[in-house]
Amino acid sequence: MTHPTSRRNMLRSLFGGIGGLGLASVLSREEAQASTVGHYTGPRMLSKARHVINLVLSGGPSQVDLLDPKPALARHEGQRPGSVELRTERQTGGLLPTPFQFRPRGESGIEVSEMLPQLASVIDDICVIRSMYSFNPTHTPAVSLWHTGTVLLNRPSIGSWVSYGLGSENDDLPSFVALGGGGSATRSGFLPAQHQGTPFNHSELDPVNMIPDLQNKWTDQLAQRRQLDAQQALNREYSQTFGADEYLEGRIQSMESAYRMQFAALDAFDVRKESAAIREEYGSGTFANGCLLARRLVERGVRYVHVGFSGWDDHKDLEKNYRKNCPAMDQAAAALIRDLKRRGLLDETIVVWGGEFGRTPVSESGTGRDHNPYGYTMWVAGGGFRGGLAYGATDEFGFKAIENRVSIHDLHATMLYALGMDHTRLTYRYAGRDFRLTDVLGEVVNDIIQ
Amino acid sequence: VFLFLSLTLFTAPPDQAPDFAFFESKIRPVLVGKCYKCHSSNLPAPKGDFALDTKDGLLKGGATGVAIVPGKPGESRLLMALRYADTDLQMPPSGKLPDTVIADFEQWLAAGAPDPRTAPLASAVATAPQGMSVEEGRKWWAFQPLEVVAPPPTRDSRPAKNVIDAFIVSKLEQQGLSPSPEADPRTLVRRVYVDLVGFKPNYEEIEAFLADPSPLAYENLVDRLLASPHYGERWGRHWMDVARFGEDNPTGEATNPAYPFAWRYRDWIIEAVNQDVPYDRFVKLQLAADLIPGTPRADLRALGYLGAAPVYHKDLRLSEQVIGGFLTDDWDERIDATTRGLLAITVACARCHDHKFDPIPTADYYGLMGVFASTMRAERPLFDVEPEVETRFAWLQNRLFDLAYSVNLLTNEASTVVDSASRVARWKAEIETLKQEALGLQEKYPQLVAKLERYWSPPGQRRQADDAVNNGSRRRRNSASTEPFTNAVFEAAQYLDGSDPQFTFIHYKAGEARDMPLLKTGNLATPGEIVPRHFPTVLAQSDPSFKQGSGRLELAERIFSDAAPLAARVIVNRVWGWHMGRPLVGTPSDFGVQGEMPTHLELLDNLAARFIQHGWSLKWLHREIMMSATYGQASQPREDGVRLDVANLLVWRMNPRRLDIETYRDTLLRLSGRMNERMFGPSEDLQSPRNVRRTVYSRVSRGRQNSLLKNYDFPDAMQSAGGRDLTVTPLQQLFVMNSEFMHEAAAELAAATSSEAESDARLQFLFRRVLGREPTRRELELALDFLQGGSLEQYAQVLLSTNEEIFWP
Repeated sequence: MTHPTSRRNMLRSLFGGIGGLGLASVLSREEAQASTVGHYTGPRMLSKARHVINLVLSGGPSQVDLLDPKPALARHEGQRPGSVELRTERQTGGLLPTPFQFRPRGESGIEVSEMLPQLASVIDDICVIRSMYSFNPTHTPAVSLWHTGTVLLNRPSIGSWVSYGLGSENDDLPSFVALGGGGSATRSGFLPAQHQGTPFNHSELDPVNMIPDLQNKWTDQLAQRRQLDAQQALNREYSQTFGADEYLEGRIQSMESAYRMQFAALDAFDVRKESAAIREEYGSGTFANGCLLARRLVERGVRYVHVGFSGWDDHKDLEKNYRKNCPAMDQAAAALIRDLKRRGLLDETIVVWGGEFGRTPVSESGTGRDHNPYGYTMWVAGGGFRGGLAYGATDEFGFKAIENRVSIHDLHATMLYALGMDHTRLTYRYAGRDFRLTDVLGEVVNDIIQ
Repeated sequence: VFLFLSLTLFTAPPDQAPDFAFFESKIRPVLVGKCYKCHSSNLPAPKGDFALDTKDGLLKGGATGVAIVPGKPGESRLLMALRYADTDLQMPPSGKLPDTVIADFEQWLAAGAPDPRTAPLASAVATAPQGMSVEEGRKWWAFQPLEVVAPPPTRDSRPAKNVIDAFIVSKLEQQGLSPSPEADPRTLVRRVYVDLVGFKPNYEEIEAFLADPSPLAYENLVDRLLASPHYGERWGRHWMDVARFGEDNPTGEATNPAYPFAWRYRDWIIEAVNQDVPYDRFVKLQLAADLIPGTPRADLRALGYLGAAPVYHKDLRLSEQVIGGFLTDDWDERIDATTRGLLAITVACARCHDHKFDPIPTADYYGLMGVFASTMRAERPLFDVEPEVETRFAWLQNRLFDLAYSVNLLTNEASTVVDSASRVARWKAEIETLKQEALGLQEKYPQLVAKLERYWSPPGQRRQADDAVNNGSRRRRNSASTEPFTNAVFEAAQYLDGSDPQFTFIHYKAGEARDMPLLKTGNLATPGEIVPRHFPTVLAQSDPSFKQGSGRLELAERIFSDAAPLAARVIVNRVWGWHMGRPLVGTPSDFGVQGEMPTHLELLDNLAARFIQHGWSLKWLHREIMMSATYGQASQPREDGVRLDVANLLVWRMNPRRLDIETYRDTLLRLSGRMNERMFGPSEDLQSPRNVRRTVYSRVSRGRQNSLLKNYDFPDAMQSAGGRDLTVTPLQQLFVMNSEFMHEAAAELAAATSSEAESDARLQFLFRRVLGREPTRRELELALDFLQGGSLEQYAQVLLSTNEEIFWP
């Protein structure tokens, strides 16, 4: 039972208050900024990570063609041993060997596919998790599982939880930015709306075209400043007459933030401000720009950046498609790791890579692979995760995770741990109970963090 | 989802009744483990028509006769089957059970086959919940009967305007506080407009009120606005938050396409609110309009509450477990929406285990799930159709959809499903049979046949083909239709058929109802007892079971009989919150232990009791609240109030707020002279610059929420919303500073000033139009300064952007 004047009441007045902002103390600018302070109240873990960049390869990249070599596939080509009788989305055929060569790379000697030469060059900074598993073989629920920990399409995403837990480091930018991707990827669910992922269309290079209403098409900067000054004069008069009020004061500050955001975003979201050498290192294309933008954003204090790269749903023609799509992905992801490291940002940034599931080692339609939630690979770099480690294993054909299995909830718990939070203590009360990102599940995987 | 929850351990304590202990320890585990798989009432067609998961079913026997004769093991065919004595009847088919187990059955049959499963409700109640027991729960404040509590005496010398004030002032006095003085008339008239019709009044409307010398001026204003059609647009939208109104589904895939007639449900809400349909009837129609005798067909639109609810996509190639997970998630959503939305109890917390805090055993959850597992969505005609034909039409829609969708899946996909050709042939044959049946309706009901045609016309021929049948997710942005149909539901029990290892079918048994098994830890793989459909035990005043059909109508009726006190408290609390800016119970969708206690319980009870006495009339309730001095208070901060009660729980002032997005946008449209006041009809895209209709007529998407709505805290239509967190963020201000919408409004206003010649007259015009008042001398000077280097249009935008405009004191 809760006393009516509880802290929760203060923080979460459903009506009339500013979400996340205490009704109690009002009005000074210092306190108004409390809206960007985190709500995590559990014990702080020893950790270095403060940001997350999530590289989301939607469709589901194939582990046995990229990071989980399975020589047995070639030996049993076309066969269907009993261990592959697992129901996926569609009917599948016999075992399909990878057309790509693997060899040990880096000091760690982790075996990497020839499709990922650039990532292979930074493999000693990467923690490869070969024993991921999930629960659902169709895209939408599986995507939701990755982002929110449940197939229910109404729960907050991990980016919203991180924003809610840690708050923002930069008032002039949203704390959770999504470059490609919406729906469950950006949903804040029952968490206050300021923690939702703000989508930006990064297929455009000019920030003005990426962000709705970022610039005024009819008024120049100087005139707009005059407008804002005139408005704020009226606002202050109004506050004088009305009296102290957190909303009125909050909006005065927020107007200034928005005004600054126009320029901060123009700068932050413009990859063209990078040197030619850096841009060349990342490569060209939407994903490359997204990775580079992600680095610029975490540099400026954005908590969580989602970078989407769709088109990894290869039910057929996998080899042809990989030869076309892998180089751009490989180059940009590797450049991101190198770039963060050079700038000393890798330790404080978790870069997590993967799809909503992996793919079957058995073929679909002869040249492709079906969805596989039983076992797949994700990788994590930076943020205190152990580089040069290949963790866990799938069965001899790469279908099912069998050794050191890691669920999505486990990885979420570990990411929150790396960000300094106990996943069982990051909670939000809603509809009669305290909700968590990891629901009643999730174990921190100690072996993959330093 | 069941897999995530499977770690939540729940162990039912053994039944203490000594007669039943043997059954519990020796018999039941065998039945569950060895027999339920084929002989459960949870299956569409139990083998041999024999379901032994209920006592009734076990006693009744199956197609081949009686299975057990209590007290006479020798005459019990069940025992013969277990013994493998007869080669034609050997159970279980997987292999003979150990002799010791067979001996147990013999002993149990000899003892008269004691079987406790007739009273799952009683046994569920008897289990010790982890939280509050049902008995304890009956004492919880929210479940108490209502009485008209007399208002307490106050020391306040001013005459109380009505009883609300006595309750409020009495509590304030106890804390050494007093109410605030009456708000100035200008603030008051704005408050009432925003509150009742959802936009600020214009200058003329304000002045007319200020100039009205009648002592009844305020009362007349309230009455006039309550009678305005705009009232329904404002208060209908409040209800739409609770009803999680949306016009599509989160993903819009083949089996969960957009709802082309959801707008009709929205229109129905607005009409019903305008007509002040009594709240009990208003809700009953939304749950069961089709089951209430004598209901006009137009009221079928109310069923959008269930018929346009969010559903998950079900790819029928997936396993029974996966499809079953999505189906139960759909039903879970209905349980959550109805129990939190209508009763402020969080029954969905009891899906995996007894509620950890509230008196809600898991059996109560599955007792409601049966209701929704017996309720299927369908598009229903708004014209008269014979009941049997209509039911068959509803069934045909669902069956034909599944068949056409399945044919499509196995034909168009690069699928290698074994024997796909024979499956497709079988399904096509069934489509053909159903087509012939449907064509029999051609003469009498051509519109019904036209609606079904899409399922059998070859793709090349069907210009009107339903995109949903095509595999993939071709999302049409505007799926609205004006055909004479509405998104509704009908009575049909749904069962999963997993007998084909490659394909899972859902069977719809029209006109039938089913009970759900209790799923321990929410896991479909471990079905437990069958739970008869029933009303939550703690609320039931007599036998809680539902007897008619799905139980939907009984559910609706019992909310307003057995649970009437709670239902009245819940809506009165919501309405108070929408008026006052803070409800009396701070968690309006959770009156349970985890929710907040009411700040003014006696006031809530007094209002709720009189609300029922006044025929559940919302307009009565509005008047009662708005005629109070409490409502008319000023909202300015006061030193003593801030010091003693900063959260204003005691209501020493009106809560000042910002406008919500509908009210803000509508106000800007109206004051700039751009609003199109046409009511009703298919929704329009909020993004379109040509859309100048009220915001309530903008499309509400569950999959692609409009960014303006999202930025301004419009609720996610995936779940019932009890209130909105009104945040203030820079992204909101980017809209104010830079959007085309604001630009258009400012341009329109600037153009309208051309009737005035002089700058100060133009500025005065702008102040009147936008802020509804004269500028002060200082404001005029500042504005004239601005015009030295800026345009009138720019200044119009300044005024539209001010705090004063978006604030609601």
